[in-house]
Amino acid sequence: MARSGRNGGDPPRVTPPAKGRSPLASTTGPELARAPLVVQMAKEDEVVVTYPYLVWREYLSALAMFVFLLVVSFLVAAPLLARADLTVTPDFAKAPWYFLGLQELLQRFPPVMAGVAFPIMVVIGMLAMPYLDRNPSRRPQERKVAIALFTLFVCMCLAFVVIGVFFRGPGFVWDWTKILGYQGLVP
Amino acid sequence: MSNQAERGGLWEPSRQVGRDIWGSVFRRGLPTTDKVAARTVLTNFFLHIHPVRVKKSAIRFSYSFCLGGLSFFLFLLLTVTGIFLMFYYVPSTDQAYQNIQGLQSGSPVGAVMRNLHRWSAHAMVIVVWLHMVRVFYQGAYKSPRQFNWTIGTALLVITLLLSFSGYLLPWDQLSVWAVTVGTNMAKYAPFLGPFTRYVLLGGPNVGQGTLIRFYVLHVAVLPLIGILFMVIHFWRVRKDGFTGGL
Repeated sequence: MARSGRNGGDPPRVTPPAKGRSPLASTTGPELARAPLVVQMAKEDEVVVTYPYLVWREYLSALAMFVFLLVVSFLVAAPLLARADLTVTPDFAKAPWYFLGLQELLQRFPPVMAGVAFPIMVVIGMLAMPYLDRNPSRRPQERKVAIALFTLFVCMCLAFVVIGVFFRGPGFVWDWTKILGYQGLVP
Repeated sequence: MSNQAERGGLWEPSRQVGRDIWGSVFRRGLPTTDKVAARTVLTNFFLHIHPVRVKKSAIRFSYSFCLGGLSFFLFLLLTVTGIFLMFYYVPSTDQAYQNIQGLQSGSPVGAVMRNLHRWSAHAMVIVVWLHMVRVFYQGAYKSPRQFNWTIGTALLVITLLLSFSGYLLPWDQLSVWAVTVGTNMAKYAPFLGPFTRYVLLGGPNVGQGTLIRFYVLHVAVLPLIGILFMVIHFWRVRKDGFTGGL
């Protein structure tokens, strides 16, 4: 990515012919001798000015999101149940949906593993992921292992949330019937 | 002298003042040329967070789905609606529930603000998560952007903690029991588990101590940490440029 324009330098050029890229980089042999010595950049490398092109897109997507949330907020009230009472355990005692994976693990593994070891491993693994993945390629066909592992992780997260929300009844017990007429869907 | 010239003579100085003020605030006009557009980005506080120019492939909607920008937008929306809610909310076990109940039933504006805050919070968890998934599949975390992925992961964790700490504040059965279940996990940590849970809850059980702790975390501590990480995150995106098409 060219960096002209930093520190108030030259305004950027928007026309496709690349200034910074050496024609030597991609061509060898007789092509070099041919005039004109301008390499047409690949379409992917075309650049445009941020303002208005990117700013306009950001504005539109934010507006769309805002309108969507506003409509939802007019139609669906946020849940508010009875006042908190620590002496009455409700049927549906569940963690928020994004922590249901943890609750699911607690159901299946010893607490030290599910409640502590797994989450810490996942978070450290995520933080360190770019340093563990030594493959410099960004092409999907050259990162099959990384993509397969990450897809597995994403699918597991999704599955845990879906199971936790739809298939766990009172007391977090497995219940197929909960998918039909379940009242506790609201997060 | 014609009538028109007289009018021009009267109006011209004030119009010039108007132009001067406009020009001094915004410095540049509409982006009629690339040069003006570039200068605008460089001299405008809100725009200079962007690079001056970007790869065309990187700003295709189907490339990024604007997920990073939307995460930030949701953060802003949650800040605005959250500040509105703070005017009505007292973090006390005696008053919190009534405050929210009053807000929900008292006025349409209050109800919509609370709903907006709630649904935006859920949306933000989803959008931040999708942003991370998008960045992974495009390999956009690779050199030189490794550390920005790490910061992004921290931001995801902060988003979850913000959502979780906000969960308790309405002080209804849903919030109290969700937080009870959530914090029960902490007690399984070897050695420090029960201690961690006690510190988190400010007592042996969810109560007034927990409410004030979660409230302060929710409205002050976590947003400030989040803003710090966001500033670094955006600054690095700005300096490294957008990754762009494969």
